[in-house]
Formats: sequence, C-alpha cells, structure tokens
Amino acid sequence: MNATPNEALEREVAAMIVEALNLEVEAASIQPDDALFGDDGLGLDSIDILEVALVVSKRYGFQLKADSEDNFAIFASLRSLATHIAAHRTT
Amino acid sequence: MSIRNAAPELAAVTLPLLPEAAPDAIVALHGHETIRRDRFVRELCALAARLPAGRPLLNLCGDRYHFALGLFAGIVQGNLSLLPNSTAEGNLAALQADYPDLVCLTDDAHSAGALPALRLDTLLAALPADAATPAMPQIPAQQRVACVFTSGSTGRPQPHFKTFGKLVRNVRAQARRTWSTTGGPCAVLGTVPFQHMYGLESTVLLPVLGGGILCAPRPYYPADVAEQLARLPEPRFLVTTPYHLRNLLASGIAIAPVAGLLSATAPLANELARHAEARLQAPLLEIYGSTETGQIATRRPALEDLWLLHDDIRLACEGDDCFVDGGHLEARLRLGDVVEPVADGRFRLLGRHADLINVAGKRSSLGFLNHMLLRLPGVRDACFCLPREGETARLAAFVVAPGLSAATILAGLRQQVDAVFLPRPLVFVDQLPRNATGKIPAAELEALIARHITRKP
Repeated sequence: MNATPNEALEREVAAMIVEALNLEVEAASIQPDDALFGDDGLGLDSIDILEVALVVSKRYGFQLKADSEDNFAIFASLRSLATHIAAHRTT
Repeated sequence: MSIRNAAPELAAVTLPLLPEAAPDAIVALHGHETIRRDRFVRELCALAARLPAGRPLLNLCGDRYHFALGLFAGIVQGNLSLLPNSTAEGNLAALQADYPDLVCLTDDAHSAGALPALRLDTLLAALPADAATPAMPQIPAQQRVACVFTSGSTGRPQPHFKTFGKLVRNVRAQARRTWSTTGGPCAVLGTVPFQHMYGLESTVLLPVLGGGILCAPRPYYPADVAEQLARLPEPRFLVTTPYHLRNLLASGIAIAPVAGLLSATAPLANELARHAEARLQAPLLEIYGSTETGQIATRRPALEDLWLLHDDIRLACEGDDCFVDGGHLEARLRLGDVVEPVADGRFRLLGRHADLINVAGKRSSLGFLNHMLLRLPGVRDACFCLPREGETARLAAFVVAPGLSAATILAGLRQQVDAVFLPRPLVFVDQLPRNATGKIPAAELEALIARHITRKP
C-alpha cells in the first residue's frame, strides 16, 4: 500500500511503543504492515500489550476494547493499531 | 503413587463427576446462554460418547466453556487430558512424539496445526437439544484424568499426573478457603489462561467442582474486564495476576462490586494488595502453589505476610529444601521455593530456588531455557538471566554466537519456548566468564549485567 491516512499517527504510535517498552529498535524501522504481536515482526507478547494499552488510554483518551474474540487482533500491525486509535481517540 | 500407600479398597472408590446440586443450578455462563447443570451433564456425556477411546486429548479450545466440556467429557470417557506448559510449535511436536495417538480438541480451524483434531464446537452444535439427561457419571478416584508438564532443567518437559480423587480433594480445599473469604460461591471471571494450572484450578475446576459459576469470557483489556464483570450476577469473583491487577487499577475504570479477588503466579506486593482491597472494597486472596503441587496455601496479603496451608497439607524442611505431602498431593514433593515453617500450618516465603522463573504466570527454568538456546546451530555458549525481579521482570540472555543474527536466534527460540521467555535484550558477547568448573559465578554475571544491560529506572 502507499501512504495511508494515518501515516503520521502510525509514526507517533511506533515511537510510543518503542518508548513504552524500552525496545532496542528504531521506531522508524517499524513498517505499517509489520506484525506487532506474535512470532514475527516486533514480537510483542501479552504483557507488552497491556503496557501499550495503558499508554494508549492515557495519551488518546479512550480505553482499548477487543473488537472480536481475538483480544490481540488490534495489535496485528502498526496499521491496525493506528486505525483503531484513529477511530476511538478523544484527544 | 505406589500400591503400598493405597488402601486396597481405595482402588474401587468412585466419586460423582459433579458434586450434589439441583438439576437447574447454574453451572456456566456462555455467550448469552445460561447453562444449567442438567444441560452441562447432557452435553458432556454426549461429547464423551464421541471421543476416541483410550487416546490422550490435547484440549486447545479457546473458549472456556468448550474447554471445560472437553475436559469433563474426557474424564467420563477415560481419556487423559494433556496440558503442556507451552503450545509453541516445537513443544507440541515433542508432545506428539511422546503421545503419538493424541487427538486435539479445538473450537477453531487453526489451533491444532497439522495434528489430528476433533472440532468440539461442531460436535456440540450437532447434539440433539431434547435428549434426556443421563445419570451422574461415577469416576474412579484413582483414574488419571490430567497430565500437566513442568519444563524440567534438562530440556525435556516432565509429566505430572493428576488423579480424579486428588483433583477433587484439592478443589474442595480451595473452595472452602475461597468461599469462606467471599461469603459463599461466586460467578468466576478469569483474566488468566486456563491451560495452565492456576487458571485451570481457579477458573474451571473451582466453579464447576466447587459450586460456583464458570464464566466463559476471557477479557484482557481493563475496559473489557470491567464490562464482563458488570454482566455477571452477584456475587462476583475475579481471578487475576498481580500484573493484570495493577494494570486494571491504573486504568482508573469503574469496576462493578466484587465479593473477592484471587491472585497468583507472581508475588503480590502488600501495597498493591491494600490498594486493590481499598478500591474494590473486597478481600484479595493470594494463592501459593505450583504445577506439581497444585494450590497448597493462601494468604490475604493486605493483612498478613504468612501463608496458611490448605487443610491436611504437611510441610517439612531440611535445610533449604522444603517438602509437602498429605491432602490432595500425589506424592511427597519438593517446593521450588525456600520457605520457613512458622506454626499452625503457617509459613513464610523466603525466596525461590534460583533456577525457577515465572513470567506472567508461565513457569520455566533457566536450565531449560539455557538448554534451548545452546542447542541452536551456531550458538557456542549462552546464559539466560533475570536482571531484576518484579511483576514485569523480563529475562535477558548473553550469547556467544559469531555470525548469527539476533533475529535468527530469536526465531529458533520461538519454536521451543513461549514468547514471554524470549530474552530482552539478547546481548552478544565474545565469551562468557565461566570459571574452572564451567559455572558463571554470580558476581561475574552481575558485572556482565551492569556492563551490558541498561534499564529504565
């Protein structure tokens, strides 16, 4: 895909994840479609996700809720997380 | 258990699958459905008749009610349920090598991978709704119903078998302790995985065998936990971990009244316990146990430091090695912790044996993890360590692996271990400071950590 409507937000969220989790990767190196959760990509796990969810709630003014049976679907990729935030943010 | 220890008549003892209760007692809440006891028995007996005789079950159902049906159907039909400590691909392959005729129970299309599987949800949907409820199945107390695994220190998971009689006894002891704290049986909501011992005992067995109500949802985010709790009938009980609890409180979300909370898997700070009790106006019980022993003691950390053993459990220490037996225990077992017996069944927890680790409720050992790292091609030497203790403690690892990338090593490890145990960071070094006996002295390891691993305060 080319540039997305949430590109600026994606960069902001990538930086937030790296900072919140003290990761040893450059935020700029995280691609929009890279997997965040699970065995590929960034490899975040369930503990990281609660940590990021807390930071998201403080920064964007809404509480994360699972959209589906899969609690971690929101964290499928940077793009999916940014899209979720864009749709629910209050600040 | 040896035959010598069992009274001869015990072999013939049977127990009802479920304790006494009215046929219309509520057993579970599943989606929008209220499952009453006669329906639960009808469904699990019908499923039992469709299980392949004698084959061990690997229950991978993601829905807690489906999982419970599969577990109890297996008990009725005499199928052993295998509960591996990890469902990582390599671990399941090793399990299948040990149990070549295992069958997975699933409720989705992908969890079983290439393993043979039965779709429990499909079987369930095909059951006739108007069948008569069969008589309560009677289960031999000596029947092995579940096998849980610990990681061991040699790279090979160690099986621990649970018999029905002992499992029932353990859950009854837990139910007495828990419901006396809450004032009676509750609807039980859990944020923890039920494939592990703590979640299995507290979110599946405690409600089903201990007179509570099993609640199928597995909420994760604080807002979902609060929403699901509010949907439950009172009294409500929340089974969680220190990490989930801290996060729930930090979110500031309003939480519906609960009659009690349960925590386990990592030590709960007294300050967090007091904060939780004050916010939720309910007692918070903490559980002590392990995969091998099941739950053996509780305490209320907001009020007390000492642990109180469950009824009939005996504790004895020889130096730093402590052993428990009696009660529901299948044998005399060594604890993974150093404890100090006090009096009247109480003890103080002094610390863990260095090798055992627990991250987010999942247990492993440094020995196991080191073994998994060292067997990766190209890794010459390696050492896992825990740079700091606490609820969010993460493992780190040092490796000597010239020419390998971190990504390659992590990909190899992921095949064998749960993601929570992956080292963060993974530090490449030229060599490890091993002494003449091949060990890395604690002081050298500390120095290595101080030199290479910087952490946020």
